[in-house]
Amino acid sequence: MAAIDAQPMIELRNLHRYFGATRAVDDVSFCVRRGQVFGYIGPNGAGKTTSMRILATLDLPTAGDALVDGFSVIDDPDRVRRRLGFMPDYFGTYANVNVWEYLDFFARAYQLDRRKRGEAIERVMDFTGLQVLADKPIDALSKGMKQRLCLGRALIHDPAVLVLDEPAAGLDPRARIELRELIRALAADGKAILISSHILTELAEICDVVGILERGRLLAVGTVEEIQQQGRRPQSMVQVRLLDDASALAQWLGMQPHVGQLRANGNAVSFQYAGDQPAQAALLRSMIEGDFRVVAFGAQRQTLEDVFMQVTQGLVQ
Amino acid sequence: MTAPTQSAAVLDSHSAVAAVPRRSALDRLLLWAGDHLNPILIKETRQALKSRQFLVTFALLLICGWAWTILGVAWIGPEIHYGAQGREMFAGYYFILAFPLLVIVPFSAFRSLTVEQEERTYELLSITTLGPRQIVSGKLGSAVLQMVVYLSALTPCLAFTYMLRGIDFPTILVILFYTVLASLALALVGLLLGTLTSQKHWQVVLSVVMIAGLLLALGVSYSVAMRVLSGPGVPVASVEFWQANAGFLTGYCGYFLLLFYAAAAQLTFASDNRSTRLRVTMLAQQLLFTGWMLWVWLGPASGENEVLLVFLSFVALHWFVMGALMTGESPELSPRVKRRLPQSFLGRMFLTWFNPGPGTGYVFAIAGMLAALALVLAAEPLQEALRLPVPVAPQAASSRLAFATISAFGVLAASYLTIYLGVGLLLIRLLRRVTRTTVVASLLIQVLLVLLGILVPTVVQWMSPDLRGASYSLLHITNPFWSAGQAVDRGSVSADTWTLLTIVPPIALIVFGLNLPGVARELRHVRIARPKRVAQEDAQLRALRSPPQPIRISPWDEVLPGQEDESP
Repeated sequence: MAAIDAQPMIELRNLHRYFGATRAVDDVSFCVRRGQVFGYIGPNGAGKTTSMRILATLDLPTAGDALVDGFSVIDDPDRVRRRLGFMPDYFGTYANVNVWEYLDFFARAYQLDRRKRGEAIERVMDFTGLQVLADKPIDALSKGMKQRLCLGRALIHDPAVLVLDEPAAGLDPRARIELRELIRALAADGKAILISSHILTELAEICDVVGILERGRLLAVGTVEEIQQQGRRPQSMVQVRLLDDASALAQWLGMQPHVGQLRANGNAVSFQYAGDQPAQAALLRSMIEGDFRVVAFGAQRQTLEDVFMQVTQGLVQ
Repeated sequence: MTAPTQSAAVLDSHSAVAAVPRRSALDRLLLWAGDHLNPILIKETRQALKSRQFLVTFALLLICGWAWTILGVAWIGPEIHYGAQGREMFAGYYFILAFPLLVIVPFSAFRSLTVEQEERTYELLSITTLGPRQIVSGKLGSAVLQMVVYLSALTPCLAFTYMLRGIDFPTILVILFYTVLASLALALVGLLLGTLTSQKHWQVVLSVVMIAGLLLALGVSYSVAMRVLSGPGVPVASVEFWQANAGFLTGYCGYFLLLFYAAAAQLTFASDNRSTRLRVTMLAQQLLFTGWMLWVWLGPASGENEVLLVFLSFVALHWFVMGALMTGESPELSPRVKRRLPQSFLGRMFLTWFNPGPGTGYVFAIAGMLAALALVLAAEPLQEALRLPVPVAPQAASSRLAFATISAFGVLAASYLTIYLGVGLLLIRLLRRVTRTTVVASLLIQVLLVLLGILVPTVVQWMSPDLRGASYSLLHITNPFWSAGQAVDRGSVSADTWTLLTIVPPIALIVFGLNLPGVARELRHVRIARPKRVAQEDAQLRALRSPPQPIRISPWDEVLPGQEDESP
């Protein structure tokens, strides 16, 4: 049993998916473990949705494999489907069906018996806050409510793995915050979650690990800090304020190692610094020894957005 | 009942057991049915009850039924009291009922799948644990339910026609029964067409084809129903009538099952086995048809060799269509399929041909045809052994087809089948190197090949002033229908037939030989072990289904059922 617990809930193994000459997914590999939220980020057309569709057994890879709880999406899609809840970037709702009927249908489609079905519908409605809308036609729901309903549908069979493709797209700020809380609660419940989004600040708050994808290739995987370390020196945005004009300091900094993107404005200078913290301390000491009258020195950690901009090149295919 | 109330009702169904000590049998039955009915049927029934299309169709059907009742009664006038006007009234009601049954229901079935693809709900449905057969049967069940509702709406009117006299109960039943069968088959064809493509432009093309086909079917059904109504009624006392119906229903069931499995195969995940079940059905169809043929040949049409000719023609056509579809399958087997390949020597020898693959499909089709031919070749010795009577009338005896002629026809039919399917398969293999080929594309290629074989010599003959108007010649050797047909045209084996028999079967052998390397490659597939994780889960599931019994370790332990013999 220990072996089963130790195995990743999601595993992509050298996944490739080509559409003619277009390499939508090109040799992507990563793992997501139980209770982990994996943020899948990349520009449009990077291959996020394609790889998520392969995981959800909606598409087949050209080469490689994807495993859910150790089962291959190619060879055992039936076993994968029992374990996976997929929330695509579209609603997929039926006409002339209300919220309760929609959830009841999917609970039946996942072959839940009467007792489990009742419990599942109640659990999901309770979790997504849809009880009050149970008899409302789906067509009449707001976008946020439809997103909740789709999340509820993905959760109806209590899957161990969730794949959420742009779940926050088009939601208002309140709905986004609520969705974020729902996702954190699901992760705390032990579910492995793969989530894609364009809103990087949000992903940074809920993801344990992120993967940056561009033109089908996975450029970086890990925590934001780990990605900063991967292949590049850690980057920080440093701001220095002097008592007098900062142009001389800017000139001096231009000659120092690891300094980039210098910007001087009056008696303030900001620049990107690729050195670690001891190097920052040494730099400050050098400034003071160089008779620069420093009144403020601050280094800001990079955000996910900074890392994303740094790792990707804005290439599209 | 509102949805939350429904939800509460479902949730409370168990807690309510305490409050309501006993449920009525009907309640229990309804609860059981609610749990076991196909989810798609339940969902689509809920949707249909709220849909405008269903309500409008149902209302129109009722209005038309009532309007025809009033108009018909007014038209008949006082004669209604002593005349027999049931047939005319029934014809009107049939005209009203056949439209929803033969057009609306099948087209709704087709649209229900295409709409799912358009709205992308099909993707969500396909990743549930519902299997493809459950999806098809759910959609089909929904069509049946619509049919039942439409039928029940006009049932009082149909009963009314019986009371008007002029039409008997069996005629009404037979017409309705066959209309329902036609509706069901058309709904299944609609579902199959709905699975063929998810691209919008092809769906539009298929919609047009579907509507045209349904209107044609409606026209045919009107004409057949009118012919039955204008006759003396169905001959229920005739044994031949029931035999013919039984024969038809056997064929209907076989092809219905085949269409059902074909639709399900279209929805099956690409790595799964889509073919074996279909091949088993094809074989069952051939066995059923062979059984009927034998029964007819030995019984009602004793000694009539034309029966054998019909049998061979049908089998050749059947295996051409099935072979054309099978040769479009992918030659690669997924690890999932390889896990279940036959292992034993006998299993590999006889069951390998049921494995998916174009080569095995090609051999399977030819084997089916050859089995039918072997049966026909054995017919003459069988006839002599059984001392079957031959037709007494001299003209019948002279017109009777000789076994040699039928055998020549069978050999030519089998040879042409081998050649066309084989050449088609070689072309498909070549095509597969540059592009992806589907089963439908393969069928088109095979049909196109046969059309070329017929049209090219025909055009050459038309364009040549010397040959124009000439009868069969070896120019038409590529025309399988005319070539095989001329073998039986002249009653005995003609010189042309002998020439064909010396040319066509050797070519068939060459084409078969050219395909053998491809077939051999497919035969090399062997069973592979299940992945460790799958075996692990299977073991867990088995343990859950039959938990291990505690073992008695002392004489004082309780004796468990099945362990009595172990007690001292």
